[in-house]
Amino acid sequence: MKITYSWLEEFVADLKDFSPQDIANKLTMSGTEVKRLEYTGDKYKNIIIAQIESFIKHPNADKLSLCKVNIGSEILNIVCGANNFKEKDLVALALEGAKIGDFTIKKSKIRGEYSEGMMCSEKELGLSQESEGILILEGNYKLGESFARQVGLDDWVFEIEVTPNRPDCLSVIGIAREISAITGLRFKSLEYDCQNEININKNFQIEIKNLQLCPRYSAKIFKDIVDKKTPDWMKNRLLLCDIRSINLVVDLTNYIMLETGQPLHAFDAELLASNKIIVRTAQKNESITLIDGTVRTLNEDTIVIADEKNAVAIAGIMGGKDTEINEKTKNVFLESANFWGPSIMKTSKKLGLRSEASNRFEKKIDPMLTIIALKRFEELLNKITGQKFEKVIYDCYLDVNRERNINLRFSKIKQILGIDIERKAASLILERLGIKNKISDDYISALVPSFRFEDLEREIDLVEEIARIYGFENIPTQKLDSRSSHGKYSYSQKMTMKIRQTLEDSGFNEVINYSFISLKEFNFFKLNEETSFKDYVRISNPLNEDFEILRTTLLQSLVKNLKDNISRKILNLRIFEISKVFFKDNSGKNNLPIEKTRLAVLLSGKANLKSWNYSERTYDFYDLKGLLEYLFEKFLLKDSLKLLNNEYKFFHPSISADINFNNEKIGIIGKIHPQLVNLLDIRQDVYFMEIDLDNFIIKSDKKQQFKQIPQFPSISIDLAIVIDEKVTNSEVEEEIYKNGGKNLVNLRLFDLYKGKQIEDGKKSLAYSLEFRADDRTLKDLEVEIISKRIIENLNRKFGAVLRQ
Amino acid sequence: MEEKINLLKQDLNKTFENFTNDKKEVKSLNELDLLESKYLGKKSLIAQTLKNINEFPHEVKPFVGKTVNEVRNKIENEIKNLRDELNLIEFDRKLREEKFDLTLPGRLLPLGSKNIINKVIEEIQEIFIGLGYEIAEGPEVETDYYNFEALNHPPDHPARSLHDTFFIDDKILLRTHTSPVQIRYMEKNKPPVYIIAPGKVYRKDYDVTHTPMFTQIEGLAVDNNINFGNLKWTLETLAHSFFGKDRKVRFRPHYFPFTEPSAEVDVSCNICGGKGCRVCSGTGWLEILGAGMVDPNLYKYVNYNPDEVTGFAFGMGIERMAMLKYGIDDLRLFFENDIRFLRQF
Repeated sequence: MKITYSWLEEFVADLKDFSPQDIANKLTMSGTEVKRLEYTGDKYKNIIIAQIESFIKHPNADKLSLCKVNIGSEILNIVCGANNFKEKDLVALALEGAKIGDFTIKKSKIRGEYSEGMMCSEKELGLSQESEGILILEGNYKLGESFARQVGLDDWVFEIEVTPNRPDCLSVIGIAREISAITGLRFKSLEYDCQNEININKNFQIEIKNLQLCPRYSAKIFKDIVDKKTPDWMKNRLLLCDIRSINLVVDLTNYIMLETGQPLHAFDAELLASNKIIVRTAQKNESITLIDGTVRTLNEDTIVIADEKNAVAIAGIMGGKDTEINEKTKNVFLESANFWGPSIMKTSKKLGLRSEASNRFEKKIDPMLTIIALKRFEELLNKITGQKFEKVIYDCYLDVNRERNINLRFSKIKQILGIDIERKAASLILERLGIKNKISDDYISALVPSFRFEDLEREIDLVEEIARIYGFENIPTQKLDSRSSHGKYSYSQKMTMKIRQTLEDSGFNEVINYSFISLKEFNFFKLNEETSFKDYVRISNPLNEDFEILRTTLLQSLVKNLKDNISRKILNLRIFEISKVFFKDNSGKNNLPIEKTRLAVLLSGKANLKSWNYSERTYDFYDLKGLLEYLFEKFLLKDSLKLLNNEYKFFHPSISADINFNNEKIGIIGKIHPQLVNLLDIRQDVYFMEIDLDNFIIKSDKKQQFKQIPQFPSISIDLAIVIDEKVTNSEVEEEIYKNGGKNLVNLRLFDLYKGKQIEDGKKSLAYSLEFRADDRTLKDLEVEIISKRIIENLNRKFGAVLRQ
Repeated sequence: MEEKINLLKQDLNKTFENFTNDKKEVKSLNELDLLESKYLGKKSLIAQTLKNINEFPHEVKPFVGKTVNEVRNKIENEIKNLRDELNLIEFDRKLREEKFDLTLPGRLLPLGSKNIINKVIEEIQEIFIGLGYEIAEGPEVETDYYNFEALNHPPDHPARSLHDTFFIDDKILLRTHTSPVQIRYMEKNKPPVYIIAPGKVYRKDYDVTHTPMFTQIEGLAVDNNINFGNLKWTLETLAHSFFGKDRKVRFRPHYFPFTEPSAEVDVSCNICGGKGCRVCSGTGWLEILGAGMVDPNLYKYVNYNPDEVTGFAFGMGIERMAMLKYGIDDLRLFFENDIRFLRQF
C-alpha cells in the first residue's frame, strides 16, 4: 500500500516535527514496514506553472507555434508543437535543467527561433500513459511557482507492507494512528455526528438475507451531482498511490478507501431496477457481467448485491457493468458495507479476482467505518462541487458488542519481555493506540476499541502492543544457556553427515532436486511397472504437470541433472543426492504417505581425461561398485555386501541388481537401460545406484571393537586358472574361501583375460591369495597343500584348470 | 741413533704439516687420489720408512713403527673424511643436474562438494549444538492439523493465504514451513525444549524469487522464564557466528500467527555496510528470519502450562542465508544443479 506524507499530515498534528525518513524508520521499527520511501518532487525540478500570453505560427515550420509565456517574473519565448491551447491557459513549463524522461531541457533554437523551455504534456510529466497535446491546468495556481508543489506532486510516498492482522492499517488514518502512538503527536480522527440521519425515511430499502455474511450495509444517495472533474490535488495524490483517475465519483470512492480503509462502491442509482437493495447469496448458475467486461457464473457461496431483478455486484470484489457509473450518471447510490472476510477470500480465490476492496474485507475490517466513509464522501463531494445533499443514511447491521475488556498484568509483561516497563508508560502506549485503559493494582484494565476488535483478543496481544511501541531495540538482550543436558546430533543425523562427507571426499558432487516430478517422467522410466516404485503420491493442485507427483526414487532427478549438465557441455558427472522419497500408504492405518530417505549416486562419462602421464578412462559399472564397497567397508562390513541379479525395467537387463546386506535388500544398482538413455539423447553409459539410507544407517556398526594386529607374517601365492566364462567371480571366490580354511585371510583378483591363447568360451582368472595364522608362522608346505586342494575342487566343480 | 730417530720425527711432522697444507687445496676426488698417493703411496716417506724399517735397530723398530703408523692413521683418517665430504658434494651435484619439471600437472583427484544448502544447514546446526540444542525432524508431507491448525492458523485464517499450499487431499499437504516439527516435538517431549529443525518445505509459487520447494531451519526453545531478551541474544549470537561479529542485528515487530510478540530480524547489509545499496533496496538492512515468543495458544495443543513455561521460536530460509553469506544472486541456481555451481562449495 502506498500513502503520502502530505496525506498523513491531515491526520497527525505537527507531523512536520518529524522528517519523512524519520517517520518511515519509526513505522518500520514498530511493525509497519516501510518498504520504500520516495520523494516525488525531484522528477519535477525546474518545472513551473506558466500562462500562455499569446502565440503565433512559427515562421519556418507549419506545425510549430511561437508562444509568449508568462512565468510571473518575466515573459519567455517558447516554441511548441501542440495546438490544444489558447491564450490565458495555464501550463506546466519545463525550464532549462528540467528532466523529461531521459531528456534534459536546454535553451535552444528550433528552426531558427529561440525557445527557453518546453510546455509539457501529461505523458511527458508521467501523469498518464498516453496524452494528446500539452497539459492545460484548471484552477487557481500561482505563476512561476513549482508545478509539483502546486498540483500536489511534491510529496513523499511511503510504500508500506501491512501485516494481515492489521487491516485497520490499510488506510491513511490507521497509519496516522500508529504514528501518533510512536511519536506522541496528536491523532486527528474523522468524526461525524450523524445519528439523526440514519434511516429517517424509507424511500430506499436495504435487506440483508444473512447478517453473518454481511454484518453491515450502509448507503447514501447523492442526487444531481454536477459534472465536475476531479481536482488536480486529488487526482495526483491518487496517482502517487498507484491509482489512476477515472471520474470524480469513482476517484472519491478510491480516495476514501485509501484514507479510511473502507471500500465503497458507487452504483448509478437510475440503473438499479428497484428502490431496494438485497444482500444475498447467489443462486446456482446465476451470472453477472462485471465492470472489467468478464461474465462470471456464480455459485451459492458467493455474496451478491442485487436489486429486485438481478445481481448488480459481487459483494466486496467487483461491481457489475450494468449499473456502473458513466458519463451520464447524475444520481449515485453509494454502498459502504462490511462483508464477512472468509467468504470474500473464498470467492476472490475462486474467481481469481483480487482487488483493493477484497483485500481489505478478507482481513475483517471494522464495521463502524461504513458511516464514517459515507460522511467523508459527502464532505469531500461538497467541498469539490459546492453542492449540499439530503441528510439521509440508510443503514442495516448486525448489532453486536465490539468492545472488549482485557486485563494486562504487569507480571505478564515482565515474564514475556524480560524487563519491567513503567506502569504509566505502558498505560500511555495503549492510550495512544486508541485503547482506553486504567491502571489497577498490578494490572491494566484495557478496553479494546472496535477497530482493533479482531486482533486484540488476549492479554498476550496487549503485551505485543506494549513491546512494539516501546521498541524491540529498547529491550536488552539476555544470555540464554540451554538447560537441557547438552547439544547433540542423533545417531542417524551424525551418520548421514558422515556419509555425505565421505561422498564429498570421494569426489562426488551433491545435488538437491525438487521432490516432485511429472507423471510422464515416471512412466518413461517404467516405474509404474515396478512393484517397489509404483505407489506414488499425487499432488491434487500441482503447479503444472512437471510437478505432478512425489518421487518414489531419485532416479529421474539424477538422470535429469546429467542431461542438463550435458547440455551445458559438462559430460563427466559423479553426483549424489540424499533426499526423501514418498510412497502411498496402502495399509490404511496411517493417512500420511511413507517417507524414506534415499542415497542415490550417478556416474557417467569419463573417469579421467587423457593426461601426459595417464590415459583416458570411461566410468564403468565397477567404479560405482567400488564406491559401494567402500561405503560398506567404511560403515557396515565389506564382506556383507552381495549383489543379486534382479531385473529392473529401467536398467540394462544384464546389469541390474539388488544390493543386499546380509541377505536383506538395501538398494539397487545397475546401468541405466541403453534404450532409455538413447531416447533422452544421452550418448554415454549411465550408472546408478540407490540405497535405503535409513536402513543402511540402522545396520551400520555402532559398537566398534579393536581387533588384534596380526603378529605373524603372511604368505602370498598366485593362482591363475582357466575356467568356463559363465562361471562368475563370486562363485570362484566362494569356492576358494570354502577350501582355503581359516588361514586364508585375503583374496584378490588381479587379472581377468579372454582372447588369444585362451580357448573360446573360457576365461583366465588370476588371484592372489594371502595366508596367515594368528598363532604361528605358516610353513610353505602347509600353504602348498591348501592351494592344491583349492585347485582340485575348482576343477571338480567348474572344470577349471591351472593356467600354464 | 737417537739423532736418526729425531730426524725421522721431524720429517714425519713436516710431512703431516705438508699434508695439512696440501689438503686445503684439494677440491675434487681426483686431487684427493693424488694427495693420497703422495703421502701414502709407495714413494711416500711413510711407505718408504715402513718398507725400510729394518734399517733401524731391533729395539727401536716397534717405536719407529708406532710413530710412523700414528701419522699414517691420522692422514688416512683425514683422507677418508675428506672423501666422504667430496662424495656428498659430488652426489649433490648430480642431483642438481637432474632436470625435473615441477610445473607439469599432478594426477587429479576428483573434487567433490557438499551441496551449499546442506553446508549452510551444517554451519547453523554447529552454532546451535554449541548452545545446547538438539536437531529434530518431521515429515515433509503433513496434516493440516500440524501445518496450520495447531500453529494457530484455524481454517479461514487470512494468514493461510500467505502460504500457497500443495495439497494431497483435504487434510494432507506438503508442509509449507518447518514449524509443524515444533508441535510434533512438544507433543512427545516435556520442557525444557531446545531444538532446531532443518528441512524442505513447499509452497505453490514459482518465479524469479520463489521456488516451489525450498529449505528452512526452525528453532524452538521452551523453558521456565524464557523471555524476549533471550530470543534477541540467541539470534544475535546466530547472526554474529554465521555472518561475522561486525554485522549489526535489528529486530522489527512483525506478525506471525504462532508467535507473539513476533519479529523479523535483519542484519546490516555487508555490500554497502549499512549505507543502502541495490542489494538491500537502499535500506541498509537484509532480512534474514522471522521469530517471536511462542503464542500461548500453542501450548494448549501440546499440554504445556502457559503460566509455567514460555518460549521462543524462529525460522529462516536456508537459501536466503546462503545467498547473503556467499553472494549468490539467483535463487534458481540452487535447484538447477549445474556442476559449475555445485563445485564452488
